[in-house]
Amino acid sequence: MTEVQTSPAAAPAAAGLSPGTGTRRSARVKEAATGWLFALPFTVLLIAFLLLPMAYAFKISLYRSTLIEGEVFAWFDNYRQAIDDPLVREGVVRVLIFGLLQTPVMIGIALVAALLIDAATSRFSRFFRLAAFVPYAVPVVIGTLMWGFLYSDSIGPFAWTGIDFTSSGTVLASLGNIVTWQWAGYNMIVLYAALQGLPRETYESARIDGATEVQIALRIKTPMISSALVLATLFTIMGTLQFFTEPLILQPLNPGAITQHYTPNVYAYNQAFSFQQYNYSAAISFLLGAVVFIGSYIFLFATRKRSALR
Amino acid sequence: MNIGNFSARKVSRRSVVAAIAATATAVTLAACGGGDDKPDAAAKPTGTVTVKVWAWYPEFKAVVDQFNATHTDVKIEWTNAGTGQDQYTKLQTALKAGKGAPDVVMLELQEIPTFALTKHLVDLGKYGANDVKGDYAGWAWSQVSSGDQVYAIPVDAGPMAMMYREDIFKKYDLTVPTTWDEYKVQAEKLKAASGGKSFMTDFGANDGGFMTGLFWQAGAKPYTYDIANPGSIGVNVNSAEAKKVFEYWEGMVGAGLADTTAFHTTDFYNGLGSEKYATYLAAGWGPGYIQANAGGAAGKWKVAPLPQWTAGANAQGDWGGSSFAVTDQARYPDIAAKVAMEIFGAKNSEAWKIGIDKAFLFPTVTPVLESDAFTGKTYDFFGGQKVNEVFVPAYNAIGDLDWSPFNSYNFNQLTTNLGQAIEKKTSWTAALDTAQENIKTYATQQGFKVQ
Repeated sequence: MTEVQTSPAAAPAAAGLSPGTGTRRSARVKEAATGWLFALPFTVLLIAFLLLPMAYAFKISLYRSTLIEGEVFAWFDNYRQAIDDPLVREGVVRVLIFGLLQTPVMIGIALVAALLIDAATSRFSRFFRLAAFVPYAVPVVIGTLMWGFLYSDSIGPFAWTGIDFTSSGTVLASLGNIVTWQWAGYNMIVLYAALQGLPRETYESARIDGATEVQIALRIKTPMISSALVLATLFTIMGTLQFFTEPLILQPLNPGAITQHYTPNVYAYNQAFSFQQYNYSAAISFLLGAVVFIGSYIFLFATRKRSALR
Repeated sequence: MNIGNFSARKVSRRSVVAAIAATATAVTLAACGGGDDKPDAAAKPTGTVTVKVWAWYPEFKAVVDQFNATHTDVKIEWTNAGTGQDQYTKLQTALKAGKGAPDVVMLELQEIPTFALTKHLVDLGKYGANDVKGDYAGWAWSQVSSGDQVYAIPVDAGPMAMMYREDIFKKYDLTVPTTWDEYKVQAEKLKAASGGKSFMTDFGANDGGFMTGLFWQAGAKPYTYDIANPGSIGVNVNSAEAKKVFEYWEGMVGAGLADTTAFHTTDFYNGLGSEKYATYLAAGWGPGYIQANAGGAAGKWKVAPLPQWTAGANAQGDWGGSSFAVTDQARYPDIAAKVAMEIFGAKNSEAWKIGIDKAFLFPTVTPVLESDAFTGKTYDFFGGQKVNEVFVPAYNAIGDLDWSPFNSYNFNQLTTNLGQAIEKKTSWTAALDTAQENIKTYATQQGFKVQ
């Protein structure tokens, strides 16, 4: 767009007209001003609600505040403490395991569901599409509370199985189930939208070449939506590393299994809002942010051939 | 004035930012918005003074309406800012921010040192609080004061007693135990007779107040702490008395005599409403909560004194209870102090009528506590029993206990370590040792001189 706009102003200058330089400069300034004006709403919001708070959080993460002595500047003591803190490590390991198990399951379900509804165009597929998406429309807190009741061993519909869904052995799977229930439909829609954008002729040529529907789904459709798959996976990884709401809501059901340091985010939250350790909490949050950033970058780098997000 | 405003705004933004940084919820942010200017002690009120009160007592609206109907010079503006920790989180944020906190706030007894340490509570002794000292039992007053300094006015308490299901006791021919040894014998009898269908009780590992109430009865003193000397604390969480309590309950749970479903959950209330639990170690406020949440067994419950460690003894403990404190953001601390003293004061029998009959509060104020209206009150939920004949003597026999100025950490250590011990089937007393070590480390990190 900008290139097109530039050319009329640049043309006289190129033709060797003397006032050209002035015109060009003013045009550039005007252009830059226009650009900034367009970007202004976003820039203001970005600075006010992301960069400033982050800078401030970073600042307080360099201080140490104690109940008796008050606040003192402590360089990176909080970070050192966080790295050495076995409770932080336990939480990080847990979300990594959770991510490794959860991501393929959820993306797999979403992909299969998207391929199925893409292949069928009956009324049932439209209903299924909506039904699978509905959990995403339920607020996370409500959905989690609902599952809390479903897991109950006195009133839950699965009480007859005798399984304790919130014991320390089963609770991670129970939480994973909630997350999958909540987000699989959303990922399915993302993948389905990508499938809808594919040229239909490709399938026809594949069929003429003798490919079965299963082969078309696996060898034609799936590779062609790989960039959408990468995107969905990336969001899932970022989501699992920041795992927070579900464990926080289910915690009262069994605090022995869902501890106050269950995930790094839950731990940071409790440090700040139960124990008033705002400084330490800020340090944990920053470390977690760094891990998420690096993790996402590694993933994007590893999948750069498949992804459109270069 | 300008400087005051500026610093208030600065601190407020700081707390908002900290909140965002630590993945705050929208609720916390809301707590920072709005609120009063800095307190101005010299100012004389003109016209009706509005006093902001935060509290989560049940049926509190009626109490506020009654107060406002009988006062023309002062008006209460009441907010329910959440129960327990939810409210404390908002309060901490607002106090740190320098604005947005109420004038008068409901604090549970165990939280008073936490808020007094940060110097955000007004010394009510300066505003005549010591004049009402005589209206309260000694232990209750010592919970809210240090010498002549008074940090809050007690409202309700939670003397512990044993609620039991008369129908279950009859069905399996159990006798009401008076000692913990007898309690265990009855529990074994119950397990055998019911085929494991009923537990003697539920030991919820998620309530530090409940555990501390049992420690209290056993004579444990987890902390030695005086607000007048804020920098020094004695930590004795894993005392022999506390370990005795945990060993006993580890045995009960290990033998399948007591359940470990978390308190205040649906499964817990269903257990109380069905025949799953034969007893419930309750606090004075417990019946109201149970009645509201597990009404299924109404009329079948009875109350007996808490079983004793030594036969014939009268050792008691407290679980919960609350008070009204005045924050340093109160514009007119004297008026706020008056409100704190009056809402549930000795003379306010109308408020206590609501408090006792509808909210099931257990009053701390002696004239109300010892009135016939309270001690002689019969409860349909307890089959017409005058339960306060059990709770009032229990209340009067409670001893002193100090709380730490970092109680959420304290409760967190108790519940987390015990919860994990139950989950992993490891030793409960070792969990207490871990809590002791962690708390000592934490207190030292926080700059306390730990003894």
